[in-house]
Amino acid sequence: MNGINQNTLRRLISIGMLAVLLVLFTILIGAGSGKFLSQENLIAIVRDASVPGIIGVGITYVIITSGIDLSTGSAIALVGMVMANIYAYTLLPIPIMILMGILTGLACGLVNGYIVARMEIPEFIGTLATMSVFRALTYVIAIRDVNGVIKSQPMNVSQYTFLGNTIDGTPSGLPYVCIALALFVIVGQIVLRHTRFGTYIYAVGANKKAATLSGINVERVRMMVYVITGFCVSIGAVFTTARLQSATTALGTDFEFSPIAAAVVGGVALSGGSGDVVGTLIGALFMAALENGVRKLDMNTAFQYIIKGVIIVLVVMFDATYKARMDRIAKEKGAKEGLE
Amino acid sequence: MKGFNISKYSKPFILVAFVLILTALRPTTFPTVGNIANVLWSVSVIGIMVCGTIFVFLVGGIDLSIATLCGFSAVVVVEVIHFFGDTTLGVLAGVIAAICVGAMAGCVHGFIITTFNIPAFLVTFASQSVFLGLSMVITNNKIVSCTAPAAFTAIGAMKVFGFPLPIYFMLVIAIASWYVLRKTEFGRYIYAVGGNATASEISGINVKKSTILCYVFSGITTAIGGIVLASMTQQAAAATGSGYTNDVITAGVIGGVSLLGGVGTVPGAIFGAVLMGLLNNGLNLMSVPSTHAGLVKGLVIIIAVGFDAMQHRDQSRKRAGFRLFKKKAA
Repeated sequence: MNGINQNTLRRLISIGMLAVLLVLFTILIGAGSGKFLSQENLIAIVRDASVPGIIGVGITYVIITSGIDLSTGSAIALVGMVMANIYAYTLLPIPIMILMGILTGLACGLVNGYIVARMEIPEFIGTLATMSVFRALTYVIAIRDVNGVIKSQPMNVSQYTFLGNTIDGTPSGLPYVCIALALFVIVGQIVLRHTRFGTYIYAVGANKKAATLSGINVERVRMMVYVITGFCVSIGAVFTTARLQSATTALGTDFEFSPIAAAVVGGVALSGGSGDVVGTLIGALFMAALENGVRKLDMNTAFQYIIKGVIIVLVVMFDATYKARMDRIAKEKGAKEGLE
Repeated sequence: MKGFNISKYSKPFILVAFVLILTALRPTTFPTVGNIANVLWSVSVIGIMVCGTIFVFLVGGIDLSIATLCGFSAVVVVEVIHFFGDTTLGVLAGVIAAICVGAMAGCVHGFIITTFNIPAFLVTFASQSVFLGLSMVITNNKIVSCTAPAAFTAIGAMKVFGFPLPIYFMLVIAIASWYVLRKTEFGRYIYAVGGNATASEISGINVKKSTILCYVFSGITTAIGGIVLASMTQQAAAATGSGYTNDVITAGVIGGVSLLGGVGTVPGAIFGAVLMGLLNNGLNLMSVPSTHAGLVKGLVIIIAVGFDAMQHRDQSRKRAGFRLFKKKAA
């Protein structure tokens, strides 16, 4: 117990949870049927985990600074709709369209960062407000037919939709979005663990006052993590719309929950200062496998909402108890050493 | 001191200004009896809910499950009435069942938040998803209509002295929660817990019990709001009450309730509810689609909370400055 690092232990726990879930579903659905434990389905799970995982990188940064972002789902819709407008009404090439989408995502992040870091509005209430603002803006710029009724805008040019596909074009191949996920996780983890900015993120989350006193520009770090989340959101939106080959106003409804759930399951503490990107990746895989399994069991989709909510609460409860226990052990150990 | 006096009288002023602006903009449609009744209906649901959630705000918590819990209790009341074959007895049973569901939900929220020391927004954010799922399972994701017993439709539609019944519910609940907060020991405990939980614990207040009770109150009023809403629309679905989370929080915040805890009054919250009702109605009369209204409401939240945060910052700066000045003088 004493020999093992606390963070390593938490990582082992989340890997164990994922393994237990996979074994459980394999037994429940039937190993022989190949419905769950097949190469195709496992790739499907990774594919479902990709967008929450990519956005989870930004969310991980935000949560480590002890913030939260509830607006990601609406921001996806807004980015998608901006790109759809450019696609429908201009002759700009696809790369420029994607660039505009990314700029929109960055702007969303900047707004969140400004509200939270500069105006000092509590994170969850500020991003709850922008959640409805971004969604409403999506409706405002939504593409309408001649009668003024909102229609879904197809974006089915192969230069764009290939992004939603697999590399070799076959359904069992590796999708592009999974490669993006790998890239985001690797870069995200390196930035977090091996750069000065990453150290600042942990410092701000652990103790804002101490971070300020040690000369860290806390406001800028908090702003930056929201902007990074905005960037991740825009990339997520590109892959989502490329796969759906259209943008709708309902895009990303109830999505804001997914990356937060992934981070929490993966051991990113909401109190800030601990966790990392790899943990969030494991969490995203866990949530995707859970959804996939529930679907394969032919359960009512409503159960997904219930199971998701309950699992989040259980994991957070576990984390809180675990942390309190670890703190107590550390304190007792410290006291003993002090006596000796 | 000067600023305090101005802010004390600013509320009725804002209200009158709002009414005048709406009257000027829509002279034929706004100041009509039918429309005022509409405003009152809208106000009453938000008002009923904010009178309970103010307890949660005062202890520094938040309830993000208002919308789906409201929908869930609406579904429960309608389903129970159908179970009893649309009888008056069924209405009574349904109302009691829905209120019990609300109280239980609040109890669970409060218990988890206080026992495990988890941020309130996360617990209620997660439970929001649970309530939504439960309503979808019960209704099989369809709209359940309920027009039968007169006792049920009367809850939302009956008029007494020209005003709809929900207005009286709101007044009764508002007076009750005002009384609890202002005139009882428990009320003072709540302000104390919201002001400084550690200090209250040390001075012998049972912080855990008080906090759980606050969430129970919030759950009960949310359930009552759901019942009234179901009765008004004569139907219930998983989506009933969607958007009310933001409306209720905004009402509280506009009414001067601080989300940091310890500050806020029931009359202030009711003022916020009335303003939200007028805002909803005004946007409606200007034919702003409900999908666009989120833009205005979101901005109102940001401005109101931003203003609150700014005042907090100024106050702490002023306090620091005052100390500095005193030291120099000495």
